Amino acid sequence: MSQLINHHPASFRDPSGFIYEKDGTVYRFVSSVYQPHYDLLQSSGLAAELTKQNLLLPFTEINENHTGRTDWYKTLEPQLIPFISYAWEWSFEQLKDAALATLSICKTSLKKGMLLKDASHTNIQFVDGKPKLIDTISFEIYEEGESWVAYRQFCECFLNPLLLAAHKGLEVHKLLLSYPDGIPAQLTAQLLPFKTKLNPVVYLHVHLHAKISGKKTAKETKSSKKVSSKNIEQIIQSLYDCIKGLSLPEKLTTWNNYYEETILSAEYLSEKKKLVSSLLEKMTYNTVLDLGANEGEFSLLCKKEAFIVASDFDSACINSFYISLKKQKQTNILPLVVDLTYPSPAMGWMNTERPAFLRRKKFDAGFALALIHHLAIAKNLSFEKLAVFFAEVCTDLLIEFVPKEDPKVKEMLTWRKDIFENYTEDHFQTAFEKHFDLKTKILVPGSVRVLYHFQKKQ
Amino acid sequence: MMQLLYLDPGSGSYLIQVIIAAVLGALFYFKSAWNWIKSFFSKPKPETEEEKNESTD
Repeated sequence: MSQLINHHPASFRDPSGFIYEKDGTVYRFVSSVYQPHYDLLQSSGLAAELTKQNLLLPFTEINENHTGRTDWYKTLEPQLIPFISYAWEWSFEQLKDAALATLSICKTSLKKGMLLKDASHTNIQFVDGKPKLIDTISFEIYEEGESWVAYRQFCECFLNPLLLAAHKGLEVHKLLLSYPDGIPAQLTAQLLPFKTKLNPVVYLHVHLHAKISGKKTAKETKSSKKVSSKNIEQIIQSLYDCIKGLSLPEKLTTWNNYYEETILSAEYLSEKKKLVSSLLEKMTYNTVLDLGANEGEFSLLCKKEAFIVASDFDSACINSFYISLKKQKQTNILPLVVDLTYPSPAMGWMNTERPAFLRRKKFDAGFALALIHHLAIAKNLSFEKLAVFFAEVCTDLLIEFVPKEDPKVKEMLTWRKDIFENYTEDHFQTAFEKHFDLKTKILVPGSVRVLYHFQKKQ
Repeated sequence: MMQLLYLDPGSGSYLIQVIIAAVLGALFYFKSAWNWIKSFFSKPKPETEEEKNESTD
């Protein structure tokens, strides 16, 4: 019977249960081995409290065993996640908030006699603008005297990349793409500047941790010394305070402040916003993929009921966009750091555990505003290739053509040979009309750029 | 209680937590002691409105 159930490819590690899909709905199977833990999670009010605090993904119990397995205890139906994202697509503040959410969950759990047995960033997803724990069965009854089993995992997945970003200016998404299971303490200790050894909390969690981890003497001491729940609480609080105080070093990137420093006029930007808004009013859409979103000026023009993924390769832009969305309490936009020429690959076991960025969802609408020249000229991508790409990801496409006469393109061509004979508006339109129907095209006042609305051919 | 250790805590993980717990415990102790010592030398806090009201009740 159970083989009929479609196990989620990322749900195989924990014997307490697994995720599966049935008739288009995602469910969680909870095994009877997890019964005491699940019962305490519910009876202590922990699940309800964390859900209320927006720290745990809401779920409902379904009284039906779809699997035919004899070790069935509960079936849970979690709230649908509109788009799964991974830490290798998050900016610094997103990873920091995910870390603080994990620690807040641990603090509340300890008060109810439980603790997380798994503290990986893959257990956190951004839902309604907030980082939430999605793995309902990662709570475990805490027994006095036990250490926190996921402590090392937490440090590797959250603390170490955040420290490296704050002290060395490294980008967290790139670090976690190289180290999807987290960055080991030894490597972090080697990379961090000497002054971090003078910070007692960083010294303990990273430098001393690096010296001790891997030592065989650890087992011998286990029987003689005990850690209390009060100690675990202090360890968690020290991690919380340390991470809370971390911030990115102040430095501007090429794209951050694009709109403030650009040579393009203010008229151009306000006119483009008006044009995009009027086109959006005529379109039918529920989901939008804003590519090259910068600080999300155009994602913000979408209707509030729509769900938007706003991506840019510049982590500083995405970081400040995330901060401003939080301030504005706008929850329908998910900003992600994605380099379109190197979108996140399929990762994990058999390349199925964590799907590639472009394989996760089809969107109703796509934005490619002030983007095409960066792909066609800076990355030598032909209009034919670009048209195929956009037809893959969305149905309606708002795309801006930036001609060679544009000051930005002129600047790009100053230091390189112009090998782009086909970079003309005619070629652009012809290439895109093979896959799309042209709905509208309008010159953006204050510029030589042209805004196109294409719709994918049926 | 059955422990489902499906995650490898890593060798040395227990020891480091024992040490951190001890150091943090000691720091907390010294901080409390220091605050206690400081309280002898600092001026007593002025009474808040609430406390005044309470004392006059």
